[in-house]
Amino acid sequence: MIAHDLFVPSPLLVLSSGTMLMLVSIAWRRSITLSLSIGLLTLLLALAGTDHHLTTGQHGVATLFIQDRWADYTTALILLSSICILGLSWRNLLHDTAHPTDEYPLLLLLGTLGATSMVFSANYIPFFLGLEILGISLIGLVAARHHHLTASSEASMKYLILSGISSAILLFGIGLAYAATGSLYFSPPVATDGISHGIPIAAATMILVGIFFKLSAVPFHMWIPDVMEGASTPVAAFIAVVSKIAIFSSLVRYFSAGEMQPFLNDTMTAVIILTILGGNLLALRQTSLTRLMACSSIAHVGYLLMAFLSPGQLQSGAIVVYLAAYTASTLGVFSVISALAANGDTDGTSIADWKGLFFSHPFLAVIMSLMLLSLAGIPPGIGFFAKFEIAAASVERQRDLLLAALVIGSVIGLYYYLNVIRTMMTPDIVQIVTYNRKNYPELTGLALVLTIIVIVGGLFPARLIRPILPAPVTIIPRSANTIAPDIDTAMRYAIHDISP
Amino acid sequence: MSPLPALVLVPALGGAIAWLVDRPRFVGARKITDASWRVTLMALVLETLILVLATFRRPAHPGPWLDHFTAPWIPSMGISIRLDMDGLSLSLLWLTIILSFPCVLLATRQIRVNAGAFHFLLLATITGIIGTFLATDLFLFFFFWELMLVPMFVLISAWGHEGRHRAAIKFFLFTQGSGLLMLLSILGLVVAHFHETGVLTFDYFTLAATRLSPSLSMVLMLGFFIAFAVKLPVVPVHVWLPDAHTQAPTAGSVLLAGILLKTGGYGMIRFNIMLFPEAAERFAPIAMALGVAGILYGAWMSCAQNDVKRLIAYSSISHLGFVLLGIFSGSRTGMQGAIIQMIAHGLSTGALFLIAGSIQDRLHTRDMHQIGGLWTSMPRLSGAGLFFAVASLGMPGLGNFAGEFLVLIATWHVSPAAAVLTTAGLVLAAIYSLRMVNRIFLAPERADQQPVTDFPARHMIILGSIMIFLVVLGLYPQPFMTFSTPSPLSITAEPDKVESPP
Repeated sequence: MIAHDLFVPSPLLVLSSGTMLMLVSIAWRRSITLSLSIGLLTLLLALAGTDHHLTTGQHGVATLFIQDRWADYTTALILLSSICILGLSWRNLLHDTAHPTDEYPLLLLLGTLGATSMVFSANYIPFFLGLEILGISLIGLVAARHHHLTASSEASMKYLILSGISSAILLFGIGLAYAATGSLYFSPPVATDGISHGIPIAAATMILVGIFFKLSAVPFHMWIPDVMEGASTPVAAFIAVVSKIAIFSSLVRYFSAGEMQPFLNDTMTAVIILTILGGNLLALRQTSLTRLMACSSIAHVGYLLMAFLSPGQLQSGAIVVYLAAYTASTLGVFSVISALAANGDTDGTSIADWKGLFFSHPFLAVIMSLMLLSLAGIPPGIGFFAKFEIAAASVERQRDLLLAALVIGSVIGLYYYLNVIRTMMTPDIVQIVTYNRKNYPELTGLALVLTIIVIVGGLFPARLIRPILPAPVTIIPRSANTIAPDIDTAMRYAIHDISP
Repeated sequence: MSPLPALVLVPALGGAIAWLVDRPRFVGARKITDASWRVTLMALVLETLILVLATFRRPAHPGPWLDHFTAPWIPSMGISIRLDMDGLSLSLLWLTIILSFPCVLLATRQIRVNAGAFHFLLLATITGIIGTFLATDLFLFFFFWELMLVPMFVLISAWGHEGRHRAAIKFFLFTQGSGLLMLLSILGLVVAHFHETGVLTFDYFTLAATRLSPSLSMVLMLGFFIAFAVKLPVVPVHVWLPDAHTQAPTAGSVLLAGILLKTGGYGMIRFNIMLFPEAAERFAPIAMALGVAGILYGAWMSCAQNDVKRLIAYSSISHLGFVLLGIFSGSRTGMQGAIIQMIAHGLSTGALFLIAGSIQDRLHTRDMHQIGGLWTSMPRLSGAGLFFAVASLGMPGLGNFAGEFLVLIATWHVSPAAAVLTTAGLVLAAIYSLRMVNRIFLAPERADQQPVTDFPARHMIILGSIMIFLVVLGLYPQPFMTFSTPSPLSITAEPDKVESPP
């Protein structure tokens, strides 16, 4: 069993060894190129190992980690995103010769390790450890910005404090859940005979609050625009994509055991409506593109939660496609931002800087527009099909309120995405060439690859879904199998503990 | 081999080539702008040839539908690439092609800035429109429906006139927002069918057989109706139209008024009436009232406009009120009238927008107070303008009259009061059309008139051919009526017969 826990998710193993290797190499000799190469190699190896199951999971035995298609899929998404983000930051790090920043790739790798560990965990402990590894790496990553030290330190402090509070709430919830069930198994606590019904409910609520905080669902969303704005562009992409995928993946696993309790259902509905409307409304008045992406990512979390709340035949497809669409489009937007960002003072995140892009960089402007339209859910981007799937899943479950929120949110969302495109199309009469817009060929190449993914995925989504479609469908009964006996044992233990 | 996929793909590919041809050297002058224009023209000629082939091909399948094409797309969701053509689609496809030629021949050659992108977007819009007219898989239909908006948005927003950004965003938000309601209706229908039979499919013919409760079918019908009503446009949701038409570049206005609006009418016939006949019948009084309101409101607003393009835009609202009235009159005559009116309105208003665009190119204004007495300086342009203005006011012998007359007959049978009110709209139409003609063409020439060039003869040939179509449509509409209506009406009656495997 220990062997199983150690070796089951091979990406975890690869990522941990890679991190240690990088630490050794940094201790030996500081070289940013070497660290970046080790980071890239580790991520690629982990990606290659995602599909390999070293040992088979034992049923009925409480394990720390679980490896199934859902975990494999989200891990692959996380690793691919991390590779993209490493590519986005590569050139910036190499250029910054004044400050040797080996810590950056190290923290990026650690963050990925934390995210991956969350995805694989079937127990509160590795989940919480992963969450904290991810969170603490993010604090460092956000602050790692030498030209904007004040802004980034502020963002980092904000994240440190708010993430600390949410972790504390989450940990309290986990503690209550353990008190109620005597098990650390990663599923909502079920009341047993000995204790009052309030404790499991309180535990589930607190855990959910912690998760919503990290996911930046609306009443707990205040940190994300500030933090993403303070961070450098690749790190902002990391927050928007990797950490959200990891926490969403854990959320799906957490509630995969069975029907959600009714009060949680209602709470979730309220939170989703608030998230969709709040995120979109916040994004309306933003002047910074990073902040706009932060707010729109809040709204996208709302759409994802909609699919999460609509179990049915279409649910798994909706979640799978939407995650892929969100990841590809968001990374695409951030790679275009990076490709245009100067290495000087401005980083091109202010929307006003984008004026006249269609005339100065027509190619990147077209890619950017496609990405934004895909995020808005307009064909031929993959976002169109993704939003369609979300709507289909919700219609199947007749979530009328949520659908109304989806329609209103989409129209608002369309407005601010179009606003960016409109700005790019406005001819820049006064050519403001105060900073040097340097064209990075490899970033343009990355943006192109993402564009191809977005368009091919939008035109032929069937090929994209088919291999991974059964993921949550098979995982739900499967994990139900593994959980059910475990809850029994846990309950026995709990009863045993309480009534000696 | 069915020519239908080629019909959809040729403009898209042609557009891509037109863009690439223009791409590498955007510094050059006239020669290079011509290259993408030539490619566009070739694509349209090729499209015409395919359409001729599709028209005169012996129907390969039994049943009233002329042609079918099916290919799997997303099997796990029951979505396939299904294109079907009947007389209605075919006549609207012909309208699309006939209007695309004057667009490209008369209006797009002047585009100097990013001509390649302009032609790509123009052809992409045409792709979306053609796809909309052919798709019979509801997902595919929705895909094309949304697809045609983006290029149109960019066309207005990048090449339009002074207030283009606001107009473009308004256009996009209205059409997209209502499109989402249609998406929900589509999904509601599909899910209802799924619950009934256990089969997940987006196929039009299969879904037509779904049994729905009266209230559900009404809700679903309304979702479709709102989307089509925004496009058509019907009065309370017409707000985007005057701005978009006024601000769009000439070719964009022609596409918008001539063809894009017809997708709304087409959708009402194909989806509202065919998929939900009972609900549509119950909804008909409201729809007809909206139609009458549109006719009167559009005409009234049109009388008060000084901007030529805005005047034509409001007159479109009025004319398309007839289409709504005819479609929901519940009779075959009304339906035929609506279709004739759609085609005639496309031709006459498209041509009017071309002429208004030419006037703006020459005089750099659309204000009727600043334009006056063009007859002496531009007799050809003015003559054509007079012809199309008279056509659009419903002169007997021209296509618009045939359509409006049929609609009026059908309306009289249902509700004489509505027919009488509608006739008032015709009087208003005469007022605003003649006012425009008087101001622009017939009034005494202005003292500060800049020297202008008239239409060259080759432009007149193109406009002349549109005139011929209108005259034929007006004098002898019978073949069009028999050709364009019957097959859509028989689908719902015999879905099984149509369903015969291709």
